[in-house]
Amino acid sequence: MYGSASTHDIPASAATGLENEDPILLAEFEARIARGEKIEPRDWMPALYRKQLIRMIEQHAHSEIIGSLPEGTWITRAPGFRRKMAQMAKVQDEVGHAQLLYSAAETLGKTREQMLSDLINGKSKYSNVFNYPALTWADSNVISWLIDAGAIVNQMANAKGSYGPYCRALERICAEESFHLKYGHDAVVHLATGTPTQRRMIQEALNRWWPPIMTFFGPSDKMSVHTEILMRWKVKMASNDHCRQQFLDMYVPKIWELGLTVPDAKLRKNEDGVWEFTEPDWEDFKRVINGDGPCNAERLAVRRAAEENGAWVRRALLSPKAKYVKPLA
Amino acid sequence: MSLSSLDPRIARLALPDSPPPPPDKPELDQFETYEVFHQKKEGTAYAYVGPVHAPSLDVAFLFGKEQYSRRFACTGLWVTPTSAVQVTAYGDDAGSIYDTLPGGQIEPTEAPLSESAEEQAAYAAGEEDYDIFHLKKRGKAHAHVGKVRASSPAMALQQAKAVFGEQRPVVNVWVIRSADILRSDEDDRDIWSTTPEKKYREALAYKVQDKIERFKAENSENTPQA
Ligand SMILES: [Fe+2]
Ligand SMILES: [Fe+2]
Ligand SMILES: [Fe+2]
Repeated sequence: MYGSASTHDIPASAATGLENEDPILLAEFEARIARGEKIEPRDWMPALYRKQLIRMIEQHAHSEIIGSLPEGTWITRAPGFRRKMAQMAKVQDEVGHAQLLYSAAETLGKTREQMLSDLINGKSKYSNVFNYPALTWADSNVISWLIDAGAIVNQMANAKGSYGPYCRALERICAEESFHLKYGHDAVVHLATGTPTQRRMIQEALNRWWPPIMTFFGPSDKMSVHTEILMRWKVKMASNDHCRQQFLDMYVPKIWELGLTVPDAKLRKNEDGVWEFTEPDWEDFKRVINGDGPCNAERLAVRRAAEENGAWVRRALLSPKAKYVKPLA
Repeated sequence: MSLSSLDPRIARLALPDSPPPPPDKPELDQFETYEVFHQKKEGTAYAYVGPVHAPSLDVAFLFGKEQYSRRFACTGLWVTPTSAVQVTAYGDDAGSIYDTLPGGQIEPTEAPLSESAEEQAAYAAGEEDYDIFHLKKRGKAHAHVGKVRASSPAMALQQAKAVFGEQRPVVNVWVIRSADILRSDEDDRDIWSTTPEKKYREALAYKVQDKIERFKAENSENTPQA
């Protein structure tokens, strides 16, 4: 899973550093992207391209790992053996996605060790939605369906991006996501078409998750600083608002057909086919992403405990002759 | 703002509220990298699937199997240390990177499938088999095109040019000494068969449309349409 953890974008004030790049190499690089060819790790690339891609792929990887935690806690309590097995398979997929993505980011020159350290130290971000709790089994179902649906919108767009290793990883990831989406939808439909108690349960979970879901794709384009160069380099493939509109268009009707309501009185599709909604509380989003959410501390603590508890195994296995080489592709 | 935890690990581990940030991990904490190739179907060429981190080649094979065959059809796996792969420059999507290599006058000698007395002599003379992989398009995966026999990786690349150099397009070539690749065993083929009891992790196992239609039909009976 994946969403815009924060703004992917270059702060308007920050220098792009492009004036320091070799103009001939830069022109060749841009021409390659313009004719639809992918960039591979050994190609020349502008420092800004490398930096933005590392940040984006690394955040995506962290989101997969941290994102597996809220659903992971429900494996043992999932109703019935079959659901436990399916929930476990999904969580295992998500952790596998993180592995693929860390490797893709690593080809750009940041080691996996450094990325994992930065996650635990709070230096790098992950999708902000995972700073909220999955209070009930129904919350877990809403995550499986709608957060994964959001992730798919993002991932399908990014799979058309310009960086080869990221595209290869996303191709595998997208193939697995189709199971997540169907699994999540099935679980939500089961509750929504069940007893009045089950219906209430899923409606309440949806009410809790709707505000975070609306922030999943990141701040509105109006507030975003310029992303033009990242679009041209095919790092960012679709604007935040574009992804949000696509998500609403695909999933609001599927929510409504179950007789569920969306907790936003303003939500509607206008005559121009554009979804209108209450602007999410971006100040609150900022507060939570900067550490003050209900689960931030817990998510990192779990990750850190896993890291520390496994350290002796890694130490015991490490060969003294081992030499670090970054992965090829 | 915080919340009493729903994660059983938190309560069990009695984690402190705000521990000091841990020191950065040492550089090789996650081990070396290995590159993994899989065979999707019997009789098809092995293709690159991605890297894994592991403490040894054997463990890399296990991790590779877990990471790359758990969810996708697979009938064989090859694993090699990243450092064992010789990589040429990358060309454009259209041409062949072989064209940029200095041309040598070399007799093509594709490595034979079984060893004759002649081959045994070649091995004695310091020649070895090398596996050759081509990338046909940027963003896609390298695929195995065959083996050559040579006395060094550089000679192997020259041999590859002589044997496979006519192919188009070739964006990039990987050369790996065959002895550096750990290969799944033909006799262990049953490790690739997946149990039919795992249908629950396929999208196809979830058919909700009937349930939704039934729900809608029942509900429209109860609430007459205006
Ligand atoms: Fe995922
Ligand atoms: Fe997910
Ligand atoms: Fe997923």
